[in-house]
Amino acid sequence: MISDSTLNICIKAIQKRQQSDGGFTEQEKGSYRPDSTAWAALALSRAGITGEIVDAARLSLTNTQLEDGRVCMPGEPGAFWPTSLSVLAWKGSKAHGEQQGRAVRFLLETSGKHWKKGTDSPVSHDTSIRGWPWIENTHSFVEPTALALIALEISGHTGHPRFQEGLRMLMDRQLADGGWNYGNTIVYGKELYPFVDTTGMTLVALAGHIKREHVNKSILFLKSQAEGYRSPLSLGWALFGLGTWGELPKRGREWIEESLKRQKKYGAYGTSLLSLLALVSIYQGEFRKCVV
Amino acid sequence: MINNLMNTTGKQSGHGKYDRRDFLKTLGVAWLGMTCGSGLLTACGPKPQGAETFIAKASDYSIDIGTLIRAGFRELKVDEAEIKGKRILLKPNLIEPPKGAIHVVTHPGVVRAAAEAFLNLGAAQVIVAEGPGHCRDTYMILEESGYYDIFSDRRITFVDLNYDEWWTVPNAGRATKMKSFVLPITLKQVDWIVSMPKLKTHHWTGVTLSMKNLFGTLPGMFYGWPKNVLHMAGINEAIIDINYTLRPHFAIVDGIVGMEGDGPIMGTPKKAGVVVMGRNLPAVDATCTRLMGIDPNKIKYLSAANNKLGPIKESFILQRGEELKIVKTDFQLLEHIHAYRGLRLT
Repeated sequence: MISDSTLNICIKAIQKRQQSDGGFTEQEKGSYRPDSTAWAALALSRAGITGEIVDAARLSLTNTQLEDGRVCMPGEPGAFWPTSLSVLAWKGSKAHGEQQGRAVRFLLETSGKHWKKGTDSPVSHDTSIRGWPWIENTHSFVEPTALALIALEISGHTGHPRFQEGLRMLMDRQLADGGWNYGNTIVYGKELYPFVDTTGMTLVALAGHIKREHVNKSILFLKSQAEGYRSPLSLGWALFGLGTWGELPKRGREWIEESLKRQKKYGAYGTSLLSLLALVSIYQGEFRKCVV
Repeated sequence: MINNLMNTTGKQSGHGKYDRRDFLKTLGVAWLGMTCGSGLLTACGPKPQGAETFIAKASDYSIDIGTLIRAGFRELKVDEAEIKGKRILLKPNLIEPPKGAIHVVTHPGVVRAAAEAFLNLGAAQVIVAEGPGHCRDTYMILEESGYYDIFSDRRITFVDLNYDEWWTVPNAGRATKMKSFVLPITLKQVDWIVSMPKLKTHHWTGVTLSMKNLFGTLPGMFYGWPKNVLHMAGINEAIIDINYTLRPHFAIVDGIVGMEGDGPIMGTPKKAGVVVMGRNLPAVDATCTRLMGIDPNKIKYLSAANNKLGPIKESFILQRGEELKIVKTDFQLLEHIHAYRGLRLT
């Protein structure tokens, strides 16, 4: 999608963030982060970088995997949201089949905190439907649930009740105009605003499992918004969301180039953001092809 | 517009009963003593100036906000001797993109004016730092909110606290059961933390001001989007814990256009026309709530902070700048929102 030279610049920038133990930092001179490492492993492997660099990245993810399968932020077992990303990074690696399996089991056995809503509850969403949280012992939110569903799908668990419940949870959090935000829909009778990045990610997770008629307005919302965004997270997920549903904007390549140029203004993008833009570019917005 | 701003005697203070010397003698030093000892980022919180707050009228964002802030500094005795060489962190409220609305986030003009005022006093560095509470795309929030112009001045930089390097400190407050906080490393590297909230109502806590604004210092990587760990632990208690642990040094509240009704996102603009400043955050927040027509004693976290983190009683706060009764304007409190019931100042 973007020129080979631009893609190479992205890939080289990502490679610079690799530490001696194989893990990646988000920025140069930063600390190891499992989410950065998972994104880097995905992007580098899909960009044709094979061998030791990617193997070492995948291996380093095992360092922050606990016995129960979760992959957590260093020193913080409750911050287990990188688990789903690690499943994506380990996909296809025979050497890490056991770790991937443990991570998937953890996801299947874990959910956010849920409760049956009282009649006087100020929130409108169904608080009883289980999804996945960012952090242990908190409510389920849209993005970690979308990522968990993608991880379960590529691991062959689409028939599992938790997968189906997760789909229901995401549809329950859909806003009237089709978009999604972090996970609150209506509070005290007022509908909250949708976010572009979250909508794109959710559309990726739902593709192939929800009929198009149920997300048509979501796609239309994203199509109406994508052109206005050049920040890498929103643009990357907008293009993935649209591309996954066969609606990749023709000017997507131009927008990615523009986004990358904005590093002059914003400063260097983090590893996960560069990886996102590289992947959306390599796979023309079709996220499934990145992770299968 | 800036009546009373040049007054440094304290005789035109809001309640008008004490001058500065009398006031500090009787109250300020006494309660400040209670705040010292457990701070982790500084040996002791604010310097012994007592609980003074400063209110400036500001009709809109086109006026010279820097003049107001500098006047507030003079009134509150923030001077070159104190600021020179210090690294200042300004923490605005950038919870989520404003969709063209000026009542959701701290206006960039106020942040820029504050940054320049600190730099003019010789600050070595000014960092604008925020970990947006709802939205992960911080670049987009900065773009949509008009913040990027601030950083054309290379002495002013931005740190995304959601993804900063981190360190762990014990929870100094222990109002919640949380034993520790994971904090962005930038908070450890600065000398002053300045909370710069928007003047808003909040449907869970009644109001969101300088103390609640510090939720945004906790990294999303460890607290989620929204920072649901803090909600589950108890929002009001978490506000106390964070303020105990961080010991912020100053507050500058953007009340030029605030939010009333269903805050912090879905409320309506409220033109309050003020900037409120002070060294003591509970005192600043208590002043702001009175200005909004809300009783600070009914705000749970303020009531809990009273006499521990600072005073909230009107008679314990030396009011400088504009008189409270002149700028007071009732913010709409919706009857169907539980947290607003019984808050109105009588």
